Amino acid sequence: MNAPEPNFHGIAPRTGELARIVRVNEEIKAIVATAFRINLMALNAIFLAKRAGNAALGFGVLSNELRRFAQDLTRHMASLREMTSGSVGSVTGVVQQQRIAAILAEALRLSGEGVPGAREARRRGATRLAEQQVRLRSLDLRLRAAVEETQQLVELGGVLARSAKIEAAYGGSFSAALMQVSTDFAEVIAQIKRSLEVLGKERLVKD
Amino acid sequence: MKQAHCIYQDEEHRWLAIARDTTKPGYIIDTNEYVVVHGEEALLCDPGGIEIFPSVFSALSAECDPTRLAGIFASHQDPDIISSLALWLEFKPDLKCYTSWLWQSFLPHFGGQDSTFVPIPDSGMTIRLDGLELQAIPAHYLHSSGNFHLYDPKAKILFSGDVGAALLPADHNELYVQDFSRHIRHAEGFHKRWMGSDRAKRDWCERVSRLEIDMLVPQHGAIYQGADVQRFINWFAALEVGVLRS
Ligand SMILES: [Fe+2]
Ligand SMILES: [Fe+2]
Repeated sequence: MNAPEPNFHGIAPRTGELARIVRVNEEIKAIVATAFRINLMALNAIFLAKRAGNAALGFGVLSNELRRFAQDLTRHMASLREMTSGSVGSVTGVVQQQRIAAILAEALRLSGEGVPGAREARRRGATRLAEQQVRLRSLDLRLRAAVEETQQLVELGGVLARSAKIEAAYGGSFSAALMQVSTDFAEVIAQIKRSLEVLGKERLVKD
Repeated sequence: MKQAHCIYQDEEHRWLAIARDTTKPGYIIDTNEYVVVHGEEALLCDPGGIEIFPSVFSALSAECDPTRLAGIFASHQDPDIISSLALWLEFKPDLKCYTSWLWQSFLPHFGGQDSTFVPIPDSGMTIRLDGLELQAIPAHYLHSSGNFHLYDPKAKILFSGDVGAALLPADHNELYVQDFSRHIRHAEGFHKRWMGSDRAKRDWCERVSRLEIDMLVPQHGAIYQGADVQRFINWFAALEVGVLRS
């Protein structure tokens, strides 16, 4: 048996579901690593602001906020990751069910029309597959909602980074150093935004 | 394509051999599957691997109503024996799988739930098939450490799993052994390497010699019938097993 029949009650077998989850996971890992970097950057910024003293009071406040932002982001990513690792099980179930269904369909086809029990077996398989897909779809919705929430959080991070730039201008002799730090912030946040956009486009289930 | 051959029939009691698949890819070991049909029920012995499921299923369906399958007998845990389990269960979820208690928690990796498995104790058991009594005969360490053969006292057929197996060249596609001494050459290397225990082998030969057997039907290669059955048992008794090379 080389190529199983591609149609099992109108459900086209999809390929690469697991590969898709792996991509989602990798993207999440990248964001987690970046969030960790922001955390360190914010710590450095807090020390820098302390050294600058009165000239960088506002900058210090913003650095604290950015650090809190990095911690929130890490928490968000942890829950996203939990969701995707749960979905590995669901996707594997669908992939397995599809494989079994395709091989059984081939067996029934070879047996010719009217094999007793064939219709019942097909119906049972289709029901199970449909149930699994419903589960996967709801997981997908939850994942998307979570990504959107994270995107809003990152918007806030962007605002903080922009404000830090403005504050840096009032940093007196520390202005250049503070400006460098706030530019780094802005860059890292832009990077996270791009990753989230990619993540937002990934679907565990193709429509 | 595989085909089912009726090797025994007495009214409602039949044995089907699904043997010698010439179209299967060469990298997959050729296997024989056997179906015992009695009255309204059927038992499938060593259903084989995933890859050959479609051809085994269609061969079986051509000769017997597949919804009558009541159980699967798995002589041991090998993939060529039972990796198709999930597919048979997909067709018939209430199938029972009879196998050594030793593999009860291993076979679910191929499919099935707790309720699927009927563990066979080391000493063997009787398997009932619509009134017919079949005996699961211990054959531990030949080659698997939890291993059973299936004896049908009425048909006088012993399904012997990997014992009696021969890896025949592609052009040897006869169903029954024609020339014992020629045939057994293809069984020698297999038995020497796969069968691990000389003590278990001698014990098996002794027990099986006491059974009335018209046909010894292995999972690979051709079927021994008549005098070839005892010829095989004698040959096996004398063979040095558990060795890497001759
Ligand atoms: Fe084996
Ligand atoms: Fe085998």
